[in-house]
Amino acid sequence: MAISLRESLHIGISDILMRKIRSAVTILGIVLGVMCIMVVLAIISGMNASTLSWMEERGGASKIDVYRNWDYDFSKGGYASLSLAEVSRIRELIPEAKAMNPQVQMWDKTLTFRGLNYADAVMGVLPDFQIAENWYPARGRFFGNLDVRESSNVVVIGSSVARDLFGTRDPLGQNLNMGGIMMQVIGVMEEKIWKNEGGGPWSGNVLEYLNRQSFIPLSTAMNKFGGDNKVNSMQIIAQSPDQALLLQKKLNTILLNIKQGKEVFRVTSAQEQMQQMKQNAQVFSMIFILIGVISLFVGGIVIMNIMLASIKERTREIGVRLAVGARRFDVFIQFMVQTVLITSIGGILGIVSGFSILNLVSGFLQMPMKPNPNMIMVALLVSVGVGLIFGIAPAIKASNLDPVIALREE
Amino acid sequence: MEIIKTSSLVKDYDLGKLKVRALSGVDISITAGEFVAIMGPSGSGKSTLMHIIGCLDRPTTGEYYLDSELVSKLPKSALAGIRNRKIGFVFQSFNLLPHLNILKNVELPLMYSGMGSRKRRSKAMEILDSVGLSDRLKHKPNELSGGQRQRVAIARAIVNDPSILLADEPTGNLDSQAGGDILEIFNNLHKAGNTVIMVTHDPVVANRANRIIRFKDGLVADGDLA
Repeated sequence: MAISLRESLHIGISDILMRKIRSAVTILGIVLGVMCIMVVLAIISGMNASTLSWMEERGGASKIDVYRNWDYDFSKGGYASLSLAEVSRIRELIPEAKAMNPQVQMWDKTLTFRGLNYADAVMGVLPDFQIAENWYPARGRFFGNLDVRESSNVVVIGSSVARDLFGTRDPLGQNLNMGGIMMQVIGVMEEKIWKNEGGGPWSGNVLEYLNRQSFIPLSTAMNKFGGDNKVNSMQIIAQSPDQALLLQKKLNTILLNIKQGKEVFRVTSAQEQMQQMKQNAQVFSMIFILIGVISLFVGGIVIMNIMLASIKERTREIGVRLAVGARRFDVFIQFMVQTVLITSIGGILGIVSGFSILNLVSGFLQMPMKPNPNMIMVALLVSVGVGLIFGIAPAIKASNLDPVIALREE
Repeated sequence: MEIIKTSSLVKDYDLGKLKVRALSGVDISITAGEFVAIMGPSGSGKSTLMHIIGCLDRPTTGEYYLDSELVSKLPKSALAGIRNRKIGFVFQSFNLLPHLNILKNVELPLMYSGMGSRKRRSKAMEILDSVGLSDRLKHKPNELSGGQRQRVAIARAIVNDPSILLADEPTGNLDSQAGGDILEIFNNLHKAGNTVIMVTHDPVVANRANRIIRFKDGLVADGDLA
């Protein structure tokens, strides 16, 4: 009968405590390797989390975008624009969509109020804009279908526009001069803020450009601000992410039909983009995990060598154990347990130190990081695995010693 | 009752191109309860015989019966169990594990026989008490004198109630006072019914035994009853 695991653990722990410095050096490689893997996993889950929250902010996973296809050779004819009639035909063809928001962009429009000028983008949109962008007025109201039908002279302004143009004054009900046309302010949008937790190159409010925009009814933009203003982009929100992929295909077909087979528009979905991002993240994580694996491999080789040297030194002890009745298997287990114990302790230390340097690394690399409970399991399994793999050779060597020769060893 | 019986034991050592015959046909027979000394010059094969009797090694040819069991044909894996249950070793250089206290050292054979920790602790304490070391349980071997260390080794050898006690020059590293004490212990163990086999080249030591087997050139020169 072999000795129990508890007995082996007991022997293993006292062996490790007996040779403290050697054990510490042995453990170091594993600690570093596990730390590396911890940080990588935190980076990956941090990236995923910030990608997801960005997606969520920009319309969620059910969003479909239609915009000018920059790859299309426009010398072959066709225009990347839609008339109001075409827009309403599309809406009729996709009744299953939750919202559809065609847009007309006027990128540089000057707004004037009592001698103050403010130049930024003005968007012609439909009331569905609010659903599509998940963005609502903080004060006042958004325009409704009636305003669209009537091509009303109403405007909903962004929070920065309101601040810069009206200061402390209440903008609601005031009239703005927009390129010679007077528009009444009926609402002020909520302030949009999305900050990247990691800071760095992405720091600040990346959505500030939205707060600088103003919104008018689509019909007003097309009918009253010159014939060049046509719908050249749309957002469609599906009922579900799965439906979004179907709707994406359907919209592509509809647009090709309307444009006589010319691919002047591109139709993309958040789902598609997410898949693309996931693929990119996968390549990235593969590289980092490879680095972690290599450092664990090096750590494993170090452990193997130290264990082999330690067995050489303990030959006589092994001889004594064999003489008093230890089986080869007992000796094998003794050294196996010891190696796995060392790598597990290294793994635990690696997890602890990995966690504690996470914030430091996150600040240094300027990347968002998110600790993930799964990575504790991964790190532990990996460190036990390294012990099992690199412990085999020393344990076999120890258990194959001839007792007579081992006892003669000085 | 014959506890040890060998017939035509041959042991060859293969040292690369050179073949060395350490035992060239040894027939011995030892009865249970005997106190036997094995003597002979170095290189005569007495250590090799000890290793085979102690199941640390196997003969090249020939047969060895321990307790009427043919152990010379057993696989190496089975020999560990035999060593654990039937054989107690006492070495010239004590061979205690230096990082374990003496209690743990004595517990070692019990641990490998699968005894629970509480039971083996009390058994080891009992045995250490019988060799007069009950006040040193937590001491490491290097904190003890040579004679005390050898008493720990004897305690370890007998803790499993073995069939035979094998001692290889047990007094070789001790002064005459300590050596005398150790021989007294072996004497008492013999009187209590244990089979003791002792390798020595000291005639004074050998004379404490009730039979002397002399070895020369891998053969029994004198003293075998069989």
